[in-house]
Amino acid sequence: MSFYLTLPVAVSVVLVSVFTRAGTTILFTIGPFDATLQGVDFAAQIVIRLLAISLAIGLYGLTTDPTALVYDLERRGVSPRFAFVANATLQAVPSMVERATTIQAAQRARGLDTEGSPVARARGVMPLVAPVILSSLLDVEERSLALDVRGFSRPGRRNLLWSSRDRAVERVARWAMSAALLVVVVLRLSGAFPQLV
Amino acid sequence: MLVLSGVSYRYAGYARPAIHDLDLRLDDGEIVGLVGANETGKSTICLVASGLAPASIGGQLTGSLTIDGETMTGRAVHELAGRVAIGFQNPSTQLSGVARSVFEEVAIGPMNLGLEIPEILERVHRALARLRIADLAERPPARLSGGQSQLVAIASLLAMEPRHVVLDEPTAQLDPEGTRLVGAALQSLAEAGTALLIVEHKTDLLDTLCRRVAVVSDGTIVADGPAGEVLEDPRLEGWGVEPPARVRLAAALRARGLDPATVLAP
Amino acid sequence: MTAAVHLAGLVHVYPDGTRAVDGVDLEVAAGESVAIIGQNGSGKSTLVRHLNGLLRPTEGSVLVDDIDAAGLRVAQLARHVGLAFQDPDRQIFSGRVKAEVAFGPRNLGLRGPGLDEAIGRALSAVGLADQASTNPYDLGYSRRKLLTLASVLAMGTPIVVLDEPTTGQDAPGIARIQGVIGGLTAEGRTVIAISHDLRFVAESFGRVVVMRAGRIVLDGPPVGVFAEHNWPVLASTNLEPPPPALVGGRLGLGSTPTLDALLDALARRA
Repeated sequence: MSFYLTLPVAVSVVLVSVFTRAGTTILFTIGPFDATLQGVDFAAQIVIRLLAISLAIGLYGLTTDPTALVYDLERRGVSPRFAFVANATLQAVPSMVERATTIQAAQRARGLDTEGSPVARARGVMPLVAPVILSSLLDVEERSLALDVRGFSRPGRRNLLWSSRDRAVERVARWAMSAALLVVVVLRLSGAFPQLV
Repeated sequence: MLVLSGVSYRYAGYARPAIHDLDLRLDDGEIVGLVGANETGKSTICLVASGLAPASIGGQLTGSLTIDGETMTGRAVHELAGRVAIGFQNPSTQLSGVARSVFEEVAIGPMNLGLEIPEILERVHRALARLRIADLAERPPARLSGGQSQLVAIASLLAMEPRHVVLDEPTAQLDPEGTRLVGAALQSLAEAGTALLIVEHKTDLLDTLCRRVAVVSDGTIVADGPAGEVLEDPRLEGWGVEPPARVRLAAALRARGLDPATVLAP
Repeated sequence: MTAAVHLAGLVHVYPDGTRAVDGVDLEVAAGESVAIIGQNGSGKSTLVRHLNGLLRPTEGSVLVDDIDAAGLRVAQLARHVGLAFQDPDRQIFSGRVKAEVAFGPRNLGLRGPGLDEAIGRALSAVGLADQASTNPYDLGYSRRKLLTLASVLAMGTPIVVLDEPTTGQDAPGIARIQGVIGGLTAEGRTVIAISHDLRFVAESFGRVVVMRAGRIVLDGPPVGVFAEHNWPVLASTNLEPPPPALVGGRLGLGSTPTLDALLDALARRA
């Protein structure tokens, strides 16, 4: 998914740099635009970096349970209130969607035409957006009182019921990846990778 | 024992106090019902009795809230834990939304208190058992009915082991089945010694549950006494409160010149 | 006489496979007042959302004012059916009561004096005529609910559907709503409501429809539906008849779903 998101950026970068980068070796020409080898090299570097970033994000998404991460951070000393806010934010989207759906249904029942002209739809923005914000704010008030009752504002650590299993395989993988990163950085700095052009 | 004495409370940013000259006492093991028309101050009384007003929401309080002889003025919110807890009518705003099972949800309160793990587990088991919902322990909170959610919310309060519980319209959003469930749970709760203050419109429910009933009108308490007496007070309708069915029936019979006792005998 | 609502063989299956409505035939004549009762999950909410097109049938047909709902958009059906939702905070968006109530009728094309009149009448009906310039959030929850009722009334639709109108209301609020329903039927408008408050239902509606597991299990006037021979059916869906019906049954007085009916029966016997 993160790969697909980088695709439009990658494509536009390639188009722009291949044809506009100043360079000496011309590969081919389309109209007034020359495609240079330097352009291709530059574009290739950018695309590979984009790929690396998006794959890393994708890998994180596939392997990490966000809730487990938050609780682990808490175990390592992060404040419990942060842990709660982080987790609540992660869960917030489905409930926002449900709220927005109900609101949209209520306003459509009052004749709001969500399938009409752009002008009509623009008039529908306030009736759709305002209740989402207002009801969320009201909600927050009551939620925070409920949290107060359950001791969320108490300073200090707490003993968590959960623990994550840290398997040997995962520990080895973490060390190996850190080592590999170190090696790559050293090699890059020491000039072991030559420039192509 | 929870005592409100000479209490007036003004919300932050408002000119007039929402409640004034308020005296209310809640004894251990007692269920006290609070009735009144809407916007007369019932919810404000709940917030003050629970200490959240002013400790959490600000505003100005005159008079005192005393719990078990200790005054609560100036205490921080987390010091209320163990003394008093409040539940609201909408179960979904009271559930944290971050728990993956009912057990986890109920455990959040004790965890926040910094208790040791064995104590946390025991408290959760006790709270679930008290409300007879131990069989819901593994259920994800999203898959609970309205009545069940409300019971889980109340269990989450109980896990804080408060000696006094204030509930603001706990059955308002529930269907008859949910109302029955919660009513039965509250009864067994009081039998175990917890003091309960319940705001409800359903006077039939309060008729069966409460030992005492207080009526709120225009920001102050206008009647306070044994449930049977107060719910039969002819001034109830004038205060915007609907008497229980049996009272309305008896009154209507008397109005027609019939004697309830003879007419209603099977 | 035209049927205001005609549902034939209505089935609705949600994307996750839940069969919320499982074959419902229902005909409501113009000017009737119908209450739909049943425990949560019986399909009541799903059913009424077919009346204005928010939900479309998986099988079966929906006719509103003799028009096939399938051919109309929700905004078009809103001309025929006004649906008041349960939670006022999931629709209020304006800073003034009057502007909030104006939203529905404006969408239907009302302007000028006609619009003002519709708003004025609606606000009077719910007792908020003196609050026209108030911010809705300065009103308490129960008056905000009355505001959403006014918002639907102002649309002037021949059919009015109310989803749990009395939850959170105090006694004066419920009396106000009963007055509104009476006013609507007096005007010949059709009222359909979902409610858990069986006393309110027995007193305010001419017809009660009981749903269980997506089907209609009882359908008739309150005196019929709450009669003793139907109590087992009601119990099977976790419903209990209103107290006057219970007392009347216990005393062998026949079916007395309301306090007045019970009093009449007692006076006759005395």
